[in-house]
Amino acid sequence: MSVHTRIEGLGARAIAASHAGARLFVIGAKSLRGVFDRDYPKGEVARQMYVVGNKSLLFIAITMGFLGMVMVIQSGHQLNRVTGDLSQLGPQFLKLFIQEFAPTITALMLSTRVGAGIAAEVGSMKVTEQIDALRLSGITPTSYLIAPRLLACLSMGSILTVIAIVIAFTAGGISAWSVFGLNPTAFFDSSMVRTYDIVIGSVKALSYSLAIPIISGFCGLEARGGSEGVGTATTSAVIGSSFAVLLLDFMISGIGLMVFGGGV
Amino acid sequence: MTSSATPSSLIEFRDVHKAFGAKRILQGLTMEVGRQEVFFIIGTSGVGKSVTIKHLIGLLRVDQGEIHFDGERIDNLSEKHFYPVRKRIGMVFQHATLFDSMSLRENVALPLRKHQGLGTKEALAKSDELLERVHMGNFAHSSPATLSDGMKKRAAIARTLAMEPQVVLFDEPTTGLDPVNARRIDRLIRELSDDLGVTSIVVSHDLPSIFGIADRITFIYQGKAYKSGTRQDFEQSGDPIVRQFISGNSHGPMETPGF
Repeated sequence: MSVHTRIEGLGARAIAASHAGARLFVIGAKSLRGVFDRDYPKGEVARQMYVVGNKSLLFIAITMGFLGMVMVIQSGHQLNRVTGDLSQLGPQFLKLFIQEFAPTITALMLSTRVGAGIAAEVGSMKVTEQIDALRLSGITPTSYLIAPRLLACLSMGSILTVIAIVIAFTAGGISAWSVFGLNPTAFFDSSMVRTYDIVIGSVKALSYSLAIPIISGFCGLEARGGSEGVGTATTSAVIGSSFAVLLLDFMISGIGLMVFGGGV
Repeated sequence: MTSSATPSSLIEFRDVHKAFGAKRILQGLTMEVGRQEVFFIIGTSGVGKSVTIKHLIGLLRVDQGEIHFDGERIDNLSEKHFYPVRKRIGMVFQHATLFDSMSLRENVALPLRKHQGLGTKEALAKSDELLERVHMGNFAHSSPATLSDGMKKRAAIARTLAMEPQVVLFDEPTTGLDPVNARRIDRLIRELSDDLGVTSIVVSHDLPSIFGIADRITFIYQGKAYKSGTRQDFEQSGDPIVRQFISGNSHGPMETPGF
């Protein structure tokens, strides 16, 4: 393959990627507008909240419980080796979880469970022409399909993040007490948590909850062909949503540090 | 290549080209559809029959050429300006495309509420009437998932009729149906034209349908309207490519990709 052909191929990919980016932006904007148009079936937001929230709860609870235990045990061993002082274990753990781990890991899990589900459902509707039928019935697919999922993710994403913090902190506290004999009153100490941590954690949770349904819905709407197209859309949704979560995490953390100096 | 224009054409395709990447589907398609006729678009699989009709409702956009509907050029309309056209041109998709989360009457009521602005009660009452028209009144409260393909197709026709369209596009309406249900669908299509004055454009390669109810036919081959005419024109045609399609012979002059 000649250099010229390779450059042409790269250029074509770059153009295709920029077009896809533009379409993603349009779908995102239309979905947000759809939230205010309220052009979706009655009870659909509640149904989606159940799918996003209730059906993800056990999955997230178990994962965050184990993560909380593992992190406390690992950190406790390190602290024991270096300083032998475990008094800051609980407060630092809570600060880190509120600002970073709870919103990000909850969102990554929602990307795999909810994002894949949205892409598969919308993608199936796309390849069986149901999306076209919606358009012919005078309905904007983004308003009808993505907007209620967006609202559900926004509300349940935040609630699940709070639940994740509670479960991980509780599991961590129990581990610290049983493994290191740490007094629970020393562990369950929120004195290190600043308003900055809560604001950054909330901004992250809300941003991720916006990104997941929009990217997954976009992947579904871009599905082509038959079942293979739906499979590709589902995979793209998980990869795209997970990547967006990590990118947003980096950006929000970076902006927080630059603007507020880490809230210290 | 031959063509026979109708004196009062409702729809005109003028030198329409459409490609998907390197794959050229339509390569200068020109054809006319008359008012209130049952017009069939026929041809082998992948020749661009469904692609052709999707241009009429803005689901696909032409690369080159023009499409006129009732004297107005529509191929260059924006998505927003296509809205009024979609009220006048309905489509029955190949897969029926009913929404499983709703009952049949709710499916039919959906365009009534959105396009015609009817209230829920009014829309549901009218959807019951429409389901009666397609002989599906007894199944108004059923979920689409519980019905046969033929029943779903009839309900999809009722949903399309809800918009009181001037034109209905049918994408392979009899595909996957048994002969009895297929002929029922044919009868419905014919009734729409005879009783309601609807223009029907039917994409099909179901020969009993084509020679049973078509007023006029266009045969698409190599991206162009290879032959247009009445049923009799096609039955009596001596063109070897048309004859091969009608006889379904695998050997002949017709070029088929992959063979």
